[in-house]
Amino acid sequence: MLKRFRPKWQHGATAVLLTLLVCLPFDWFLPQYTTLMIFIGLSTMVTVGLCLLMGYTGQVSLGQAAFYGTGAYISAALTKTCGFNPWLAMLLAAAGTGAFAFLIGYPIFRLKGNYLAMATLGLGLILYVLFRQLGPGGPSGTGDIDILSIGSFGFDTPFRRYFLVWGFCLVILVISQNIVNSRTGRALRAIHGSEAAAESLGINVSQFKVKIFVLSAIYASLAGSLFVHHLRFVSPQSFDFIASVKLVVMAVIGGLASVWGAIFGAGTTRLLSDEILLRFGEWDVVIYGLVLMLVMILMPDGLFVWLKGVFENLRTRLRQGKVET
Amino acid sequence: MSEPILETRGVSKAFGGLVAVNKVDMAIEPGRITAIIGPNGAGKTTLFNLVTGVYAVTEGEIHFRGKPLRKSPPHKRAKMGIVRTFQNVQLFGNMTAMENVMTGQHPRSSYGFLEAALRLPKSWREEEDIKLRAMKYLNIVGLGQYARHNALSLPLGQQKLLAIARALATEPQLLLLDEPGAGLNTLEKRELSDLIKRIQEMSITVLLVEHDMPLVMGLAEWVIVLDSGSKIAEGTAAQVQKDQKVIAAYLGEETD
Repeated sequence: MLKRFRPKWQHGATAVLLTLLVCLPFDWFLPQYTTLMIFIGLSTMVTVGLCLLMGYTGQVSLGQAAFYGTGAYISAALTKTCGFNPWLAMLLAAAGTGAFAFLIGYPIFRLKGNYLAMATLGLGLILYVLFRQLGPGGPSGTGDIDILSIGSFGFDTPFRRYFLVWGFCLVILVISQNIVNSRTGRALRAIHGSEAAAESLGINVSQFKVKIFVLSAIYASLAGSLFVHHLRFVSPQSFDFIASVKLVVMAVIGGLASVWGAIFGAGTTRLLSDEILLRFGEWDVVIYGLVLMLVMILMPDGLFVWLKGVFENLRTRLRQGKVET
Repeated sequence: MSEPILETRGVSKAFGGLVAVNKVDMAIEPGRITAIIGPNGAGKTTLFNLVTGVYAVTEGEIHFRGKPLRKSPPHKRAKMGIVRTFQNVQLFGNMTAMENVMTGQHPRSSYGFLEAALRLPKSWREEEDIKLRAMKYLNIVGLGQYARHNALSLPLGQQKLLAIARALATEPQLLLLDEPGAGLNTLEKRELSDLIKRIQEMSITVLLVEHDMPLVMGLAEWVIVLDSGSKIAEGTAAQVQKDQKVIAAYLGEETD
């Protein structure tokens, strides 16, 4: 059997975090953060895809918010204008966004490094303009979108939607972690390490790049669909260039090559933007830039890996202390 | 002579006006260690890149086990059994030594995204095999105890061995080694030489490009000499050493 030799404290930490996550929206705990946590969950879903793409495979995307947007807009249009069932709309949005990513994947991944970054940036800008011009409601967006429901059980309160979003989010996190620790994950990391060597070992480099691009687009699309059925409103501003940059900041803060770090990245960035940076008005962009620079310089592996290091250091020190006394 | 495992017929490669490889015919006999030698810029590495599919041939044909390779990309050739190492090693720095070798098992395993994502039985069954075989290849090159070390934390000599283990893990029929001896000390070279002989015993055909003459002479059963993109001689090590053209190419004499 396949056994993972993870130190026990990590299981403990995971259990504590999961318990906190489950308890958070209840009245006796921190219900005032339910809405914020829903947004953190949504951002985490997109960020995980970005981590797989950027951190593991080494392919930059500066237009990830566009896929978040296509998911949101397809869901909005299908449910509101065509009267589709929201779940079916969500599925079709994911399939459509995935197919779109597949089609542009092959030409776009002929580019590398900075050129790829430019192309994905361009993709994000184009889709943003399309959302403004062709999306329902144009630049000001549209409201009154259906909520998701199962039978008569509607996800009509933030409390219920919190569990819906985090359910999706955790499934995506587990799936992504499984991929990372697999033959596929090694192929992706190999592409990051050396494309020439990866190809020489029988790895179809361009195909793997497109596949992971499609997967990240599907994650973003699912998050986008959940987003519109949560807010019941959609407007292009949520999917502009700054949104894409924020996603990259989240991925970097969490640690590019760390799936679980995505929660920390999304959490920190959202907390910053929704709770603190509001006071700074348009200066918030400057602060993102500063945070990004500081993280890159001080903890290049991201907050999550850095915290883990600090914690492990403390533990060994404590242990040594015990031995000495 | 048995059917060659690899055969090039009039293979040329031009980069614009520069002809890097010029109408080279060669036949590599299975099971034999063959070396390609030649001064700098003779076209040795370009020839490797043509055989592995990194470059497309400008002219001529390459046959592998009697079948033309045409335009198949490197990853397909790796699956067919043509695998190489690199002059500048090209290990995956974001992985441990073990993971590097496990990556080499890619063409000999088949589970994909879905099986990995949902951790279906096929994935962990194959994963167990991959681990066992990776460990076997690490032990063959003598790096078993470094399995958990980061690949780039190893000294150069061991990095080169690790790259060979990674290539062996693809279970190739033809292994191309691009200057395996470069940067190694005498002891490491002797170990390398032993390893290459053991690889031959695993019934893998070895084709190597090498600058180190003592290493080539002690190892290669057949030597092909390139100069300015053309084949100027071939034969056993002893025959090639006496060849006037070869001596001229290395010493830079005028010949007619």
